[in-house]
Amino acid sequence: MNDNENLAEKYRIERYSDLIGQDKAVDEIKTFIKEFPKRKAAILYGPAGTGKTSLAIAVAKENGLEILELNASDLRNRAKLEEVLKPATLQQSLFKKGKILLMDEVDGVTGTDIGGIPELLRIIETTKYPILMTCNDIWQSKFSTLRSQCKLVEMKALPASTISIILKNVADKEGIRREPMFFTQLAIKSQGDLRAALNDLQSYAYEPISIDLSEKRDVEDTIFNILRKVFKERRDFLDLYDSTKMSLDEILLWLEENIPKEYKNLALAKAYDALGKADVFRGRIYRNQSWRFLVYQNIFQSAGISYSKSSPLTGFTKYEPPKRVLKIWMNNQKLERKKSISKKFARLVHCSSKRAMRDFILLKPVLQQAEIQKQLKLSEEEIEFLKK
Amino acid sequence: MGQSDIWTEKYRPSKFEEVVGQQEILKRVKSLVQALNIPHLLFAGPAGTGKSTLALIIVKELFGDAWRENYLELNASDERGIDVVRQKVKDFARTKALENVPFKVIFLDEADALTREAQQALRRTMENYTNTCRFILSCNYSSNIIDPIQSRCVVFRFKLLEKKDVSEVIKRISEKEKLTLSEDVFQTLYESSEGDCRRAINLLQATASIAMDINSEMINMIAASAKPKGIRVVLDYALSGDYVTARDKLLEVMLKESISGTDVIRMIQKEVWNLQIEPEVKVRITEKTGEIEFRMTEGSDEFVQLQALLASFVLAGQGKST
Repeated sequence: MNDNENLAEKYRIERYSDLIGQDKAVDEIKTFIKEFPKRKAAILYGPAGTGKTSLAIAVAKENGLEILELNASDLRNRAKLEEVLKPATLQQSLFKKGKILLMDEVDGVTGTDIGGIPELLRIIETTKYPILMTCNDIWQSKFSTLRSQCKLVEMKALPASTISIILKNVADKEGIRREPMFFTQLAIKSQGDLRAALNDLQSYAYEPISIDLSEKRDVEDTIFNILRKVFKERRDFLDLYDSTKMSLDEILLWLEENIPKEYKNLALAKAYDALGKADVFRGRIYRNQSWRFLVYQNIFQSAGISYSKSSPLTGFTKYEPPKRVLKIWMNNQKLERKKSISKKFARLVHCSSKRAMRDFILLKPVLQQAEIQKQLKLSEEEIEFLKK
Repeated sequence: MGQSDIWTEKYRPSKFEEVVGQQEILKRVKSLVQALNIPHLLFAGPAGTGKSTLALIIVKELFGDAWRENYLELNASDERGIDVVRQKVKDFARTKALENVPFKVIFLDEADALTREAQQALRRTMENYTNTCRFILSCNYSSNIIDPIQSRCVVFRFKLLEKKDVSEVIKRISEKEKLTLSEDVFQTLYESSEGDCRRAINLLQATASIAMDINSEMINMIAASAKPKGIRVVLDYALSGDYVTARDKLLEVMLKESISGTDVIRMIQKEVWNLQIEPEVKVRITEKTGEIEFRMTEGSDEFVQLQALLASFVLAGQGKST
C-alpha cells in the first residue's frame, strides 16, 4: 500500500466484463442503451456496494459517452435541476460526443429538495440523452410515478464466494498477504456489500500479519495436493484448507467432481453423505451469517470425506476441475428467455411464473401462435426462442 | 377463431352461475358479496380448483366495470420479499375505493410461499389497512399459514374437482371451439390432469393446436411429451453402479428441462416405487429422499444434495443401503 487512495475507488471497474456476478443487470442495461429512446431513463437499484455506480460508469466507457454526474451532495430541488440538469439533457455535449446523465442516489431526494421528483419526471420526458439513476430502495411510495416511467434494473447483493474472490485479487495486487480464511470471513461479514468488504480489507491491511502455520509454511498448496491429502494422506485436517487461496465453497465443487474417481459403492455413498452434510452447514452459514459453522463445514469436507473408507487410498489419480458451474452458466443464458416469457404469461392468466415455467412444454404450441404472442407483447428475442 | 386466445382465460367464469363444483362455497361467498361486506378470506385447496377464479368473480361483482382499479393481484411466490408486498399494498391502499364499496380487494396468491416471518409482517399489514382493504389469500395447504392469519380470515376449503365437473368445462369449451372429442377423452384428460382444471384446459388447447378431431391417444401423447423425461434413466444408471453417467445425465435433464431440484426430488420420490429393488430398500431410500427434500427447503445446494441421494441409489442397486 503506497498511497491513501480508497481501494473501492482505486479498483472501480470500467468495463462490463469486469463487473462480476451482475450479468443480468448488464444485459438489461445494454438493451436499455440499444433501445433508447424507447425508454428515456433507467433506475439501477439494489443494496449498497453491489456496483450500481460502477455499472453506470461502465456504460459511459463502453459506449464512448461523456458522463454528467449529479450526486447526493448536490442540491436537488426543482430550481437546481432546472438550472443544471435540464439544459444538459437538451444540449449537445462538448466535442460532439454523446453523453449520459447520472443521477446518483435518488434516495437522497428528500423533503428539502422541493419539487425535485416532479421536475425529474418532466426532464425525463424531454431528454435527448439516456438518464441513469441509482437507488437503494425503489419501493418507497414517493417513487411510484418514477418507477412507472423508468426501466428498473435490479442489482443483487453479491454472494460471499464472489466477494472473497475479488478481495483476494485486490489483495494480491496490493501486496496484502493474509490467510485464505481471512478473506472468507471478510466476505461473509460484508453481507453482499463489496465496498464495505474492500474498506475492511484496507483497514486491516496495515495491521501486522499474524504468523500462523499457513504463513510459516509459506508455500501455496495447489488444489491437486489438497485433494490428494484428503483422499490419500489423511492428515493435517484442521488446517488443510488454510494453505490454499481457494475458498471452501470452491473446494467443495472440486471434491464434488472428483469423489467418484476415488470411491465406489459404499465409500462413494458415505463420501457424498459427508459432502452433503458440509453443504448443510454451508447453508446455515449463509442463512444466518453464523460463520461459527465454518468449522463444521470444514471438518465434514475434509475428515468426513476422507474416512469414507476404512484404510487410506494409494496410487495416483488424475483430478479434474469442476464442470458444473460452467454448464449451469451456459444454460442460464438460455433460461433467461423462458423466464421472461413465463412471467408475461403468468400475469395474463393469474398464476405464478413458477407454475408457468413448470407447464412450459405443454404451453409451447399455444405460445407459438402469432396472435397469442402479440397479446403477451413478446419481444423478438422471445419469439425467436419459442421457434426452437 | 379461438386459436387466438388462451383458453384458461377466455373461458374463465366471470359470474357465480358459471362456476362448476364448489357449490357450498359459492353459496356462502355469494351472500357475503351481496351484503357488500366481505371479511378477509382464505381459500385453501389444490391447484386448478377455482380459487383465483372465485376471487376475480368477487371483485367483478363488487365493483362492476371498475374492478381493475379496485383490485390488486400479487403472487407470493414471485414477489421477492414481504417488503415489496408491503410497499405495494401501501401504495394501493392509500387511495379510497371508487365505487359504493368502502374497501378495495387484494388477492395474494400462493400465500403459503411466504416464510413465517413474512407472514407475521403480513398479519400486521392486514390489520393496519383493514378499513380500506380486504385480503383474499390463497394457498394449497392451510397448515402452512400461521394461526393468527387464519383466525383473521374466513377459511374456505376447496375440494378437488370431480370428473363430472371437469368434463362439463371441457364440453363447454369444445362446443364453442367446434372440436370433436371421442368419448374417452374426458376420462383421459381428468386422469392426466389429476383433477387440475387449469392443466386439463391447457392440455386440451395444446392438443387442439395440432388437430380439431381429438381422441384420447393424442391427449396421452401430448401429456407424455410435456413430462420431463430422463429421471428414470438417471436412476437406472445409478442402480447399475455407473455413478458418473447417472450424475451427468441428471445435470443434463435438469438443465435441459429447466426443472428445479425440488421438482426432481418429487419425481424421484414417485419413481422409487416403480424400481426393481427390495421393498425394504425402497423405504430406506424414501427416508433419505425426505431428508434431502427438507435440506433443499432449508437452502442447501440442490445438486450437492441430489448427488448424495444418487450415491445411495448405487448402493440400493446392490441390495444395500446406508
